[in-house]
Amino acid sequence: MARKDLLDIASLHREEIEFLLDQSTSFKELFTQSVKKVPALAGKSVLMLFYEPSTRTHTSFEVAAKRLSAEVTNFNVAQSSITKGESVRETIETLQAMRTDYIVVRHSRSGLPGMIARQTTASVINAGDGAHEHPTQALLDAFTIKEKFPDPRGKKVLIIGDILHSRVARSTSTLLQKLGIEVAYLGPGSLVPKYGPATIRRFTDYQAAMAWEPDFVYLLRVQMERQDVQFFPSLREYHRIYGITNTRLEEIRQRGLYIMHPGPVNRGVELCDAVMDYERSLINNQVENGIAIRMAVLDWLTPGGEAPKSAPTYERALPTFPHLTA
Amino acid sequence: MLLLQNARIAAENSPVLREGDVLIVEGKIQDIGSHLAVPEGARVIDARGRVLMPGMFDAHVHFRAPGFEAKETITTGSEAAINGGVTGVVMMPNTRPAIDSAMVVAAVLDNAKLRSRIPIYTSGCVTKNREGKELAEIDGMRELGVKMLTDDGDTTGDPAVLLRAMQYATEFGMFFASHCEVPELAGPRALNEGVMSYRLGIKGSPACAEEIIIDRDIRLAHASGAHIHIQHVSTKLGMETIRWWKSRGDVKVTAEVAPHHLLFTDEHIGDYDTNYKMNPPLRTQADCDALLAGLVDGVFDIIATDHAPHTPFEKAQDFINAPNGITGLDTALVSLHHFFVQPGKFGWDLVVKRYSAEPRRLMDLPVPSIEVGQVAEFVLFDTEAETTFTREFMKSKSQNTPFINQTLRGRVDLVVLGTEILLERS
Repeated sequence: MARKDLLDIASLHREEIEFLLDQSTSFKELFTQSVKKVPALAGKSVLMLFYEPSTRTHTSFEVAAKRLSAEVTNFNVAQSSITKGESVRETIETLQAMRTDYIVVRHSRSGLPGMIARQTTASVINAGDGAHEHPTQALLDAFTIKEKFPDPRGKKVLIIGDILHSRVARSTSTLLQKLGIEVAYLGPGSLVPKYGPATIRRFTDYQAAMAWEPDFVYLLRVQMERQDVQFFPSLREYHRIYGITNTRLEEIRQRGLYIMHPGPVNRGVELCDAVMDYERSLINNQVENGIAIRMAVLDWLTPGGEAPKSAPTYERALPTFPHLTA
Repeated sequence: MLLLQNARIAAENSPVLREGDVLIVEGKIQDIGSHLAVPEGARVIDARGRVLMPGMFDAHVHFRAPGFEAKETITTGSEAAINGGVTGVVMMPNTRPAIDSAMVVAAVLDNAKLRSRIPIYTSGCVTKNREGKELAEIDGMRELGVKMLTDDGDTTGDPAVLLRAMQYATEFGMFFASHCEVPELAGPRALNEGVMSYRLGIKGSPACAEEIIIDRDIRLAHASGAHIHIQHVSTKLGMETIRWWKSRGDVKVTAEVAPHHLLFTDEHIGDYDTNYKMNPPLRTQADCDALLAGLVDGVFDIIATDHAPHTPFEKAQDFINAPNGITGLDTALVSLHHFFVQPGKFGWDLVVKRYSAEPRRLMDLPVPSIEVGQVAEFVLFDTEAETTFTREFMKSKSQNTPFINQTLRGRVDLVVLGTEILLERS
């Protein structure tokens, strides 16, 4: 089951997910040892291609790659020809010519990592594309949940916030459901689309969501920067209706729920300051587990394969028309 | 002299094909009958089993010239039309410069006379440079034969501007064609808002963005007495809106549907395939079904392709950056046969009516038919042969169509216009 790329969660098989989560456990055991490095990727090169600012994911991948003894190069997008009008296509050709083994991509345009993957022999890892997918985040979330419940089937995760613009919500929900975990959404009507997945419950009210008895409360970052028009009146109002206030934190504590957040947090918006000291907050566990997951992913993927004589999108698989057969 | 023997003749008001021989002399149909005598010197074509129909007319094409000749030119566009059995087209004015003045119209038509083997008509802009602000100088364009006014590619945003244009130009005998979308709702991407846009993580354009302007523009026509033509309708409620206005009978409204909106849904986009990116976007199966019903019921007066070529490089970009558009001229007639006529969803009479006769009536042009005394303007179509839409087969300069390398049932064998055989394949 060799895979060249990790682009999405949707296409991952259950066995692949289980394998990656198991591998991550082994990698995480390294972290407590004095020598944290293994030679798995010695002599291999990893290119970090981040078109969107990111501190956590970028650093996490970099640490993961270095612990596998890979050589890490940062493609400095801000100074690259991209700002000089070079198209993505030409950048991809340039990258292919560099013969790097792995490319870790983050981009604001959905689908772009897939496009790069089709045109290069390198293994491409999607580190977040637009509002599409963020597979390693989903894997680290699942890993974090499994650390608390080794058999997570039937557990419930309530995801609160901006579902519409969130690649984390998409990837994580898909993965958790594949593991038998129930997922529900809570958020403003303008940010939780009606046409989302039918298998996910939607709450409009905080109390009703709590009555569903979730085991985890997963807060999404409110991304003002992704909003082309206003989706809710003010951050203050958002906090009052959907945020974890001091009162709600008390209820969460009494119910013994875990809190998760992909970071970075907006204090006073998704959560109040006290959440950061909450004993069942898993936010830092997520960060630590992210490194183990990314090591497992890098170790798992197999670069190379077919020479990528860039099959342009317009010559891709022919369509089928099942609905039109008479 | 040309004698077609045993052709099956299609006509707009005849559900059955009439078999017969057709004799063409000096570019005119001189005789139709069975077992016509072969005149001396006549070339005989055995048309047995093949369908003979008038040449198609596409009232919505983008030939990109002037300004975007890397995508298409008058030559390649008109050859693509002939390749698909189309013997007349109406160009849209979103060129550079936009076709918004007598000067540009004259340049386009002169160019067309020089480079095209079929008649080419052009629409003109409602507003200067399609900006939706100042009215274009309409009368100069009218003098050169422009009938259709449109800011196609965009909606004329300000309803007051469009209303004034309607009040003004209707008295010159012109009509308006509307590309319908509220830009604030549609956003910058041509993708239907729904399950698919959510899955792809790209902001979608809701159906109501199109339906609101369909209704708005018909209301403006109602208020001003203008004739409004609604272009490329893609939604069920859009079709029903037009049906309702037509049933009232107090506004002159016509409408068009494009083959791709009948055939594809947003699910075909799959993994960001930009060949399925066009504006209005592909919707859902329920919309396809409703549009087909609307075509059969006569809500749609015409079929038009919205032939919109883009270079391979442009379409090879990521889905968000790739331009909107799908080519259609090379493929339309064969695809209509393969997906609709052959399975019995509608007959050749509908194809002739909606893709040949009515578009010409919309443009106030004479309507060709296979009748004695008529000018020879016809297509001979083999319903048993197949066409593979390879890059070499297609004549358009661009091949941004999902039919690339697909094989469909049906083939355009012969295209005749007057005394000239424009295309012959066997």
